[in-house]
Amino acid sequence: MTTSRRTVLSAGLAAAALAGIGAPHVARAQQRPARQARMVPQGDLSVLDPIWTTQNMAAYHGAMMYDTLFGIDAKFQPQPQMVGRTDISADRKTYTFELRPGLKWHDGTAVTSRDCVASLRRWQVKDGAGQHLFERVADTPVVDEKTFRIVLKEPYGLLLDALAKTSTPLCFMMKAEVAATDPNTQITKHIGSGPFKFIESEYRPGSRVVYERNADYVPRSEPASGIAGGKRVLLDRVIWDIIPDAQTAASALMTGEVDFFEVPPIDILPTLSAAPGVKVEVFNKLGNVGQVRLNHLHPPFNNLAARRAAQLAINQEDIQRAAVGNPAYYRTCGSHFACDSAMGVEDGSDALMLKAPMAQRQARARELLKESGYDGKPIVVLHATNIHVMNQTVLVVAQQLRQIGLNVQLASSDWGGVVTRRANQNPPDQGGWNVFYTWSGGNSTASPISLFAHAATGRKAWFGWPENPSIEQMRTEWALAPNLEARRSVAQRLNRTMIDYVHDVKTGQWVQPHAYRGDRLRGLLAIPEIIPWWNVERYA
Amino acid sequence: MLSYIIRRLLGVIPVMLVVGIFVFSLLHLAPGDPAAIIAGDNATEENVARIRASLGLDRPLLEQFASWGWATLRGDLGVSMFSNIAVTKLVQQRIGPTISLAATTMLVAISIAITLGILAAWNAGSLLDRAVMGLAVTGFSVPVFVVGYILVYFFALQLHWLPVQGYMPLSEGLWPWLRHLILPSVALGMAYVALIARITRASMLEVLAEDYIRTASAKGVATLPMLLRHALKNAAVPIITVIGIGVALLMSGVVITESVFNIPGVGRLVVDAITRRDYPIIQGVMVIFAAVYVLINLVIDILYCFIDPRIRYA
Repeated sequence: MTTSRRTVLSAGLAAAALAGIGAPHVARAQQRPARQARMVPQGDLSVLDPIWTTQNMAAYHGAMMYDTLFGIDAKFQPQPQMVGRTDISADRKTYTFELRPGLKWHDGTAVTSRDCVASLRRWQVKDGAGQHLFERVADTPVVDEKTFRIVLKEPYGLLLDALAKTSTPLCFMMKAEVAATDPNTQITKHIGSGPFKFIESEYRPGSRVVYERNADYVPRSEPASGIAGGKRVLLDRVIWDIIPDAQTAASALMTGEVDFFEVPPIDILPTLSAAPGVKVEVFNKLGNVGQVRLNHLHPPFNNLAARRAAQLAINQEDIQRAAVGNPAYYRTCGSHFACDSAMGVEDGSDALMLKAPMAQRQARARELLKESGYDGKPIVVLHATNIHVMNQTVLVVAQQLRQIGLNVQLASSDWGGVVTRRANQNPPDQGGWNVFYTWSGGNSTASPISLFAHAATGRKAWFGWPENPSIEQMRTEWALAPNLEARRSVAQRLNRTMIDYVHDVKTGQWVQPHAYRGDRLRGLLAIPEIIPWWNVERYA
Repeated sequence: MLSYIIRRLLGVIPVMLVVGIFVFSLLHLAPGDPAAIIAGDNATEENVARIRASLGLDRPLLEQFASWGWATLRGDLGVSMFSNIAVTKLVQQRIGPTISLAATTMLVAISIAITLGILAAWNAGSLLDRAVMGLAVTGFSVPVFVVGYILVYFFALQLHWLPVQGYMPLSEGLWPWLRHLILPSVALGMAYVALIARITRASMLEVLAEDYIRTASAKGVATLPMLLRHALKNAAVPIITVIGIGVALLMSGVVITESVFNIPGVGRLVVDAITRRDYPIIQGVMVIFAAVYVLINLVIDILYCFIDPRIRYA
């Protein structure tokens, strides 16, 4: 084949044409809108109703587009958010709330007290703290367009905390017509009053979620603190890019294609920290608390001695080293209510914490197991293999249980398989189980009421179904306690009882650092269990 | 020929029925409860049960299958249990990136592989031949995600020539579309280059040994026309078969490539749906995939007739 002048010319023209077509688009791609941020969140936003589900992603979405009556500040104290004025009657049984002026839904209509009451009614059906509160609510009368009341049967010190909490589901306010949807059916209209508007036309499940600034939003005058204070929106557009591969997300952050990577794997952190412009920071200081749930319904763990044996066998340090790796990001913890939180008491934690040599603990565990009458039957341990922390933790836990003489049988599947099987109350050889592992946010773990997993109501409790009237009595006592000091005192007794009874076995606490473009973004707020985008400014 | 095509198209119906029964049974008998996943980790069992009822998952399996089957026959693939969006709409949103990736991959693979295969066969036993076959072995052996990460490291992270991830529709311009597809297409195409190059070489070697090639050469036909018009045309049937299989196999490769390069295609849609047990999406996409496979095979069979006029279908 010969190369003629004509072929060279046409090739050159084709290349020029291609470059010509591409050039304006390259320029457009590089010309990022001045006030835009792109985040890679922990997962996909597959459900748009933050009341229908307790998934974190739905809560993140809710915090973008909805607002709350109250919000916890950086010191975990409830502060008014949509509410302008609160009056509490002398007998502390009637709370009167007046909405602050200027609140509007994204469709332009005004937020009314009728909307708020309908939202409260829907939320309480789905939320543990809401249910606990509404067991004591006599009525929720609407006084006028801007005022409504919560009338209690008895004083309840956690009312504002429940409305302000950041553990899922948060008490988001929706339009009355939307809030009228059955709580067990997903809403189909998405009208919020929060700082950002959800752009439904650009929503691609599994790929991207887009929010734009709500120009009508009137922030409070106080500085932003926690989920409370002034939610000043300094970005025009926030895009969530759902990137399933952590390595890809890290590379995209390093090249500047995205600005924020929520859950970079711990082993990638040194690379990210060294990358120019990238900053690694922990925003959720309470992190996560791991727990091994033992099935209280069936042998051997329906026996207290066997549960105590399992508790002695579990070594938090070994688990955390395998699951998290870097000691800078984990700690052992003897509290059922998250260490470093206001309720992070460690009373009675000797059995849980490694204060005796492991060989000694294991010897005692073997004795306890013998006392329990364990007959060597296989112990079914549910094992989610597709989530790193779960996979690693369960492998270590299984080995630790084997070391005290339990005949461990791993039932491996993905997390989807575990969430189905863990609900099965049948004996392990009929589709049930003996042990499974999960974790909860440190913030929700800190409250004996908010976290449903703390309940000890038998078959009505969370998976594992512990039953202990003393624990239930103390949880109620905690909720009714008049102040923080009194609550902490109850928490001390409660922690001791939960460890003694082996309600579940805590496996330690760890934080998840976030990685972001520190050379572009500033003003990120530290809020447990929420990634807020108000107050965030793009300065470069 | 026409009656053959009609018969093959009608044959799609039982295939789809078998696929439908198989996929439905497999999904519903495998462990996993979408209601529990929707409800989230903090939910009570009562809430999970209520969501299960609202999704109709508490109905007998046969009843669920009948209603899904009937709706599918009417072209209604259902609605995602999670996002409440119609499966057909989700597939429409995702099909563009997948077709783009598959098309560019096959284009890259076919053009490179056939050229290499012909060159290797023409220079059989030479250093070039060995190099091509070495490349083919490498292409087969290295997983697509490893090739992907290596390409990203050099061309995106080090040289900053191409983006790490993402997809731009063709409507945004030819170059933005292409620059997002170059790395994934090369990564995904490596295995197909290897496969097609090997088959092309083997098939060409066989044809090049035929008498009519020697005759053409003796008549003074130039090398290139002889290789392309005489040899390649007669060696094309196995090559086209392999390309057809390649296109069908591409679906599994696309899933990994779409994840590594964050391309919002159908592959990722179905993987996400499997993780969440979003039954309508999995069932809908599987039925579509099955139909595509059957049609690809049909197209390949028809192509045989055009390439080799001796092939006739009764």
